[in-house]
Amino acid sequence: MRLLVVEDDKTIREFLTRALAESGFGVDASALGREAEKLALEGVHDALIVDLTLPDMDGLELIQRLRAQGVTSPVLILSARRSVDERVLGLERGGDDYMTKPFAVAELLARVRALLRRSTPSQSEATRLRVGDLEIDLIRREAKRGGTEIQLTQQEFSLLEYLCRNAGRVVTRAMVLDHVWKMRIDTSTNIVDVHIHRLRNKVDRDAHQPLIRTIRGVGYVLKD
Amino acid sequence: MFSRIRGSFYRTSAWRLALRSTLVFAAGCAVIFLAMYIVVARAVQERSDSWLIGESETLKQVAVTTPRDALYDRIVEEVAELASQEVSYDGSGHPIKGNTVFFAETDSSPHQTVWVGPQDSGKFLAALHGISPERGAPVSVRVPGWSAPFRVVAVSMRPGQGHIYLGLLDASAAALMRRLLVRFALGWLLMVGLGFFVTLMGLRRMLRRVDAITGTAASIRSDDLSTRVPLKGQRDEVARLAQTLNNMLDRISSTVNQLRTLTDSMAHDLKSPITSVRGRLEIALSTEDRNQCAELVAGGIEQLDRLSEVITTSLDVAEADGGALRLRPQTVDLSELAGRVAELYSPAFGDNRQSFTIEAARPVLVQMDVPLGTRMLSNLMENELHYAGAGAEVSVEIGIVQNLAVIRVEDNGPGFAAELLESAGDGAAAMARVFHRFVKGNGSHGHGLGLAFVNAVAVAHGGRVVARNRKHAGGAEILVELPLSGAKTDQPPTSTREAVS
Repeated sequence: MRLLVVEDDKTIREFLTRALAESGFGVDASALGREAEKLALEGVHDALIVDLTLPDMDGLELIQRLRAQGVTSPVLILSARRSVDERVLGLERGGDDYMTKPFAVAELLARVRALLRRSTPSQSEATRLRVGDLEIDLIRREAKRGGTEIQLTQQEFSLLEYLCRNAGRVVTRAMVLDHVWKMRIDTSTNIVDVHIHRLRNKVDRDAHQPLIRTIRGVGYVLKD
Repeated sequence: MFSRIRGSFYRTSAWRLALRSTLVFAAGCAVIFLAMYIVVARAVQERSDSWLIGESETLKQVAVTTPRDALYDRIVEEVAELASQEVSYDGSGHPIKGNTVFFAETDSSPHQTVWVGPQDSGKFLAALHGISPERGAPVSVRVPGWSAPFRVVAVSMRPGQGHIYLGLLDASAAALMRRLLVRFALGWLLMVGLGFFVTLMGLRRMLRRVDAITGTAASIRSDDLSTRVPLKGQRDEVARLAQTLNNMLDRISSTVNQLRTLTDSMAHDLKSPITSVRGRLEIALSTEDRNQCAELVAGGIEQLDRLSEVITTSLDVAEADGGALRLRPQTVDLSELAGRVAELYSPAFGDNRQSFTIEAARPVLVQMDVPLGTRMLSNLMENELHYAGAGAEVSVEIGIVQNLAVIRVEDNGPGFAAELLESAGDGAAAMARVFHRFVKGNGSHGHGLGLAFVNAVAVAHGGRVVARNRKHAGGAEILVELPLSGAKTDQPPTSTREAVS
């Protein structure tokens, strides 16, 4: 998978390139809109990450020009502009997702993967997910660890399902709130930690190998 | 202020406006006075001319009918003398000084045959030489040695018998006209002078007040916004201008004060975590313990996340306060939304050993920007988690009261500090201090943004927030009122009650 990062801020461009490369992506990077346009028209990139504020042209203009020239790769917009109107405008002009700065790298990686999944042919939806000895049945909404059923509330099951779907990948608190509770809120309390703690008590309590791990300062990961 | 006007008086608007208006006024008065003078002069002249025409006809009859014998001259002269005496005395029989009448009869030659009048008849006859008797209308004739012209009427007698001339110098009328002219001129001068003075004084007084407003505006400095234009009870346009300027200064002053408070608070609330993060990173850089390094960096990231949240919320509140928060409202069941937020927070209340109940009437439809509304409800929950205290009973009630959607959040904790409930701000902007940005209680570890954000969102949606301490049970009560959506429901509200502890 090859990505194109268009970001004029050198520091952000470099750490994005590094983080994406470490996650297994091939990365091209550009600080200028014109140069990025030429690179994107080569048609070798599976997704684009575009900052809206570029020195030689507006990021939205770049996206519009690429769409007009037949570039169909998904575009993740990065911006410090935070209003809902600007977010909607970005998506209307050809963007596929929108992230405001500052952002967690883990969330950016998750969103890029989600974009790439959406742009590749759909596979049949799994009805069972398995991580180590944890197995969840999405139809019957049941979870078992080592063959023993775990009693979960609706919220807890949804949270566990989200962690399983992203098994091995870090999810941030904001991502959990967004996907499980459908809420985009910043919280100064440990509200998500409380739910994770309760879930962990049920999933990992009797197991010798904990599955749900906290990545301090970033979020959580469920992995074997 | 006064010295400023006097110092450049001839350049002031008062002077220019007074001068222009006076010139127009003077010209108008002069035209009116001149027209009146002409009308009066014509009336006076018509009176003299009527007498001349009547008397000339009488004298003509006498001259025509009197036989041309030795007594002819004597008879005509006596009749002429009698006629002249009519205008030489007033109605009381007193002589009118200066009135002069002459009568002349000439033959066809024309040589003088009869003369009644002043001694120097030659000058008169020479002056009469050019008059045409056919017209029969009085004309003005100047006679050398006389100050004013005579009005003279010439009448022809029978063909070949010559002409008679009757002249009148109406000195009393001339004097009357002179007096009238002088009085008109004096009246005109007085009116123009008085008008100029009154206009100048009025304008000067008004412009002095305008100058006071200018002086006040000029004296405003960024570090001193306390100056105001003095108001003296007038209710005219200038007073309204002064009042408007004062109101504007009040608003600017309030905004600047808020900005100062915000800057000070932001400086404190931003610099503290930045210092902390910097310190952590320095230690992480110098430590050789990889686990400790990771721990320090992770702590730094968490602090930066909180900092980012402070900035985002602060900007939202600032935009809302400035009326710039753009909403994307949609019809929302407030009860359902509050229920979802409550589900999210319920375990946290439990962990905090607080009991939590929510009672919601369904449906309570409002027009709301869902992300902002969600954050508002989340802030209300967080406020209770932080400040109601361990073991407190927290209750949330969603309902409809007097056609308003109401969110009532109560607890039996310590309540608000009295100073937080004091009203701050001016006029319509007055609200409890607890809703101002960066205002927080002594025991608060937050940034003073939570309830400010709640208030900002409620106001942006056309609602309001009330914070108070419960009178009998103790604890805090926060009431959020929002307008109901236009979408009506026929179903009577039903209540659900959920208790979590």
